Amino acid sequence: MIVRISRFDPDKDAVPHVETYDVHVASGAHVLNVLDMVRDKFDPTLGYRCCCRAGQCGSCAIRVNGKPVLACTEEARDGDLIESLELPSIQDLITDVTQVVAQIAWLNPRAASLSCGCGVTHETIEEIKPLRECIECYSCVSSCPAYAVSEYAVPTVMRQEQRLNLDPRDVDDRIGEAIARGLFACTSCHKCVEVCPKKIDIPRKAVEKLRIEAAKRGLSLPAHMELARLVEETGRSIERKSTSFLEYVPDVIEPEGEVRATIGFFVGCMFNGRVNQSALDAIEVFRKNGIRVLIPKDQVCCGSPLIRTGLSNFVPELMQRNIAAFVNAGVDTVFTMCAGCGSTLKKDYDTPFRVADITEYLCEVGFVPPTKIAGTYTYHDPCHLLRGQGISKQPRELLRSFVEKFVDMPAHCCGAGGGVKSGFPDEAASIGAVRAEMVAATGADFIVTICPFCEYHLRRVTGLPVKNIATLMLEGYLK
Amino acid sequence: MENRDACHVLVIGSGGAGIRAAIEASTVGETIIVSKTITGKGGCTVMAEGGYNAVLTSEDSVAAHYEDTIKGGAFLNDPALVEILAREAPDRIRDLFAWGAVFDLTCEDKFAQRSFGGQQIPRTCYAGDHTGHEIVMTLLEKLRGSPVEIRDELTVVDLLKDRNVVFGAIVCNREGELGTITADAVVLATGGAGQIYDMTTNSTAGTGDGYALGYRAGAELIDMEQVQFHPTGVVYPYDTRGRLITEAMRGEGGILLNTKGERFMEKYDPSRMELSTRDVIARSIATEILEGRGTEHGGVWLDVTHLPKEQIEIRLPLMLRQFLQFGIDIRTQPMEVTPTAHHFMGGLRITLETQTTLSHLFAAGEVTGGVHGGNRLGGNALADTQVFGFRAGRAAAAVESVAKRKMDTVQIDATEEKISRLYEGQATSAKIRRLMKQIMWNNVGIYRNEFDLKVAERDIAKLRAMPLVISSPREISDAFITENMLLVASLVIDGALLRRESRGAHTRIDIKASWTNETSPFGHTFFSKTRSGIEILEGRL
Ligand SMILES: Cc1cc2nc3c(=O)[nH]c(=O)nc-3n(C[C@H](O)[C@H](O)[C@H](O)COP(=O)(O)OP(=O)(O)OC[C@H]3O[C@@H](n4cnc5c(N)ncnc54)[C@H](O)[C@@H]3O)c2cc1C
Ligand code: SF4
Ligand code: SF4
Ligand code: FES
Repeated sequence: MIVRISRFDPDKDAVPHVETYDVHVASGAHVLNVLDMVRDKFDPTLGYRCCCRAGQCGSCAIRVNGKPVLACTEEARDGDLIESLELPSIQDLITDVTQVVAQIAWLNPRAASLSCGCGVTHETIEEIKPLRECIECYSCVSSCPAYAVSEYAVPTVMRQEQRLNLDPRDVDDRIGEAIARGLFACTSCHKCVEVCPKKIDIPRKAVEKLRIEAAKRGLSLPAHMELARLVEETGRSIERKSTSFLEYVPDVIEPEGEVRATIGFFVGCMFNGRVNQSALDAIEVFRKNGIRVLIPKDQVCCGSPLIRTGLSNFVPELMQRNIAAFVNAGVDTVFTMCAGCGSTLKKDYDTPFRVADITEYLCEVGFVPPTKIAGTYTYHDPCHLLRGQGISKQPRELLRSFVEKFVDMPAHCCGAGGGVKSGFPDEAASIGAVRAEMVAATGADFIVTICPFCEYHLRRVTGLPVKNIATLMLEGYLK
Repeated sequence: MENRDACHVLVIGSGGAGIRAAIEASTVGETIIVSKTITGKGGCTVMAEGGYNAVLTSEDSVAAHYEDTIKGGAFLNDPALVEILAREAPDRIRDLFAWGAVFDLTCEDKFAQRSFGGQQIPRTCYAGDHTGHEIVMTLLEKLRGSPVEIRDELTVVDLLKDRNVVFGAIVCNREGELGTITADAVVLATGGAGQIYDMTTNSTAGTGDGYALGYRAGAELIDMEQVQFHPTGVVYPYDTRGRLITEAMRGEGGILLNTKGERFMEKYDPSRMELSTRDVIARSIATEILEGRGTEHGGVWLDVTHLPKEQIEIRLPLMLRQFLQFGIDIRTQPMEVTPTAHHFMGGLRITLETQTTLSHLFAAGEVTGGVHGGNRLGGNALADTQVFGFRAGRAAAAVESVAKRKMDTVQIDATEEKISRLYEGQATSAKIRRLMKQIMWNNVGIYRNEFDLKVAERDIAKLRAMPLVISSPREISDAFITENMLLVASLVIDGALLRRESRGAHTRIDIKASWTNETSPFGHTFFSKTRSGIEILEGRL
């Protein structure tokens, strides 16, 4: 098999270069076996780390085709591009991790705990366990958008802060420490979970939990507290400036022609208060596809901005109101067109009805293909749709069916999530700039996405027209 | 040479034993810990899955732990070391717990304990099936919070010695630059040497450097022929062969079947069945395979499909995930297993205070011999690292500080000269290691006989005579390590030839002895630069 390896010799090279090797390995071989083979057959100086060879020590994390993986557990494939993690390079695939290690906190044991039972219970242990499996491979560090552009201390550091916060044996204040290390800079993009070999859910199990603790002590960011106040007072995370969507649409919207199905519409604050047109377009798309849309008027904010920022006191009430609204409407499926609402309803709620993203639903029930639309389009995966809901194929399937030219683009957080845009606008802009470069590389004239926050932010950072997928479909239908 | 350092205690190796020793030593004086890998990730401790043996309940007793260990060890253990192990293992696990270890607890908030092979009473504490990882993470946190100076990726290539006193080490970094670290006392905690075999559970760092470092410095080693083959290693896919399938699989109720569907342990150890000691199970599996009742890939079946799915998911999550990666769902499919080189029971001879036969050189963990005799019980090695790591740190720190020692440039010059010769050598490390692993696997495995051992002796000697070659300084450490491995291989063969009996993990099929383990006239085999042989217990002759 042919593999390409990024080589870097600090004594000779200014920048890394890629070399190609033709190796013979047994079937089922892992990338580490390939590296061994290259070292033994071609170049004994090839630099890489490994130790346990069984996914347990975390020494061997590298990137294969751009994705952080453990070399010892990742199956090797013909054509693989093997690079080091995105950390300071030492030689070839070896990176300098000392800076990161230095930030990982250690437990400061209570003096008395040497003799007593320390108050640790079966429950404590079970609660800490999911945060404890980290093998310090630093894959998450290599891919965290917040770490790349801000003072954010890296995902696994937050994991450790919460692990210690939960432990009665530890005496230190981990909340203050976590805040000092950038607790509010995480965009909740979930990239770290995607690349973690142990699938540790740092944003939910550590960052959000630490933010809750911070909120209890009144240490939340002022911008976040302001938002929480707004939601508590108005049921909405966006100030009412003009007539909102829910105030002027009818409760039931009948489709053109025969009714194929009925669905509830969870509107979300942005579409309700700011970008009504996209929501109207979505309704129109459903009408063209023979689907009746029910819009219960007593629905409120899903609570996502509160949950992500740790100010979740009011969330149970929001949940109860939303669930009641759709149960009373008698629908069995509810669609969202905001990635954040969708992922919140799916992951944080326990709904007696099914929740589906607009593209997920349309691909499932089938859609009338819109007329071809001119121009070059790319698609931005909202983090909360891609990783929050596991949806990436459907939007592409839709787009490919009717845009003239579709150029795919690898996923990357735009920087708008997790309360970062309101809390740290500079960080959001820096992450946005990284994304803008990726967009530019596609040569697309238009960006399509399914999250109003991404849409808004991308428009700012790229200067390109950003379209909601429903709006674009409708353009096709109206042609 | 530029890189010179000095400290009170130098600890070599950052597995369980090394870190524990460094933590202890640092309470007394300046301590440096070096590892050839990133600290903590190095050796086998981080890979240990099953658990840690400690007497913690009133049903259990130190005497029972002692008895199990000696019996499991084929009565080759040093009784005094075993006594210490059994007595202090509970305190050391409590240390770990106080420092934040996330061990599984029962619903009554006590340490959960399960059965491992050769135990009268469930004695093995655990953290899921990543107990070693949990211990290392706990120790690392403690280490990071201590004043110990941590040096990653420095390979010790030789110990510094002044007459009979060890006073530091020559180290080599990734770039091939030599340096020295002098110390009042040195702790060797470099782990085992499974890597001298083709199939092994050990990490890449398990190359037995400590045995070679100690031997070259003049220390005495014992029982090097006692290599434990873990009964259940992965057979397939090829590149994962040898990887460990934890004993917890059997502890939780897994059964072994041959291709005829027979639960063959009924033949070999009907009372203990799959929870017999490792040596017995490894030999039983080897026999089944040799006699043609093995699978296509050369293994037997290990089956947990009769257990509740939740039990597998909660108690064996790592194993479940690992096998799913190979496309095998152990909840519904059996695993193919075969014995694989796992643990070195032999090693440096130590006293109760971990003092080796050289002054100011201490040793702890798998690099030592005597604790486990001829066969180590599952869960006893992790306990060993903590009990003796603690003792080594304390004893080393108690060595009196000496005024600046004069550096013996002869030793350093010799090392530098050896390096310069490497550039003119012929055989690459990769090639030598490949050949060595095959020789050891084929001739010095579970079943041994004089003829095969002699062949191995000759072939390893040939490899040792081949001058190693390197093309850049970055390969220096590797070349030294290859030399170490060959030295260790030859010590294992020497021991296997010296021990003319079957004892523990060492099985000589060409010798029938009239005694039992308990009445054997033989004690330890021993090896040093000046003498080697086997102890004869006069009273038993
Ligand atoms: C897969 C597996 C599972 C196991 N499961 C269990 C279990 O469940 N229960 C149990 O009790 N035991 C178990 N064992 C055995 C146990 O893990 C080991 O015996 C024990 O951890 C050894 O610890 P150690 O500190 O002596 O050495 P190791 O943990 O092996 O550490 C050796 C250290 O020495 C360093 N080193 C080596 N050579 C040099 C050099 N030349 N220069 C500098 N540094 C060097 C390495 O980098 C490493 O840091 C298992 C072993 C394996 C391989
Ligand atoms: S969720 Fe995204 S921003 Fe937050 S820690 Fe993970 S990778 Fe970083
Ligand atoms: S959290 Fe996951 S990805 Fe990050 S260092 Fe730990 S194991 Fe690796
Ligand atoms: S070598 Fe240990 S995780 Fe890959």
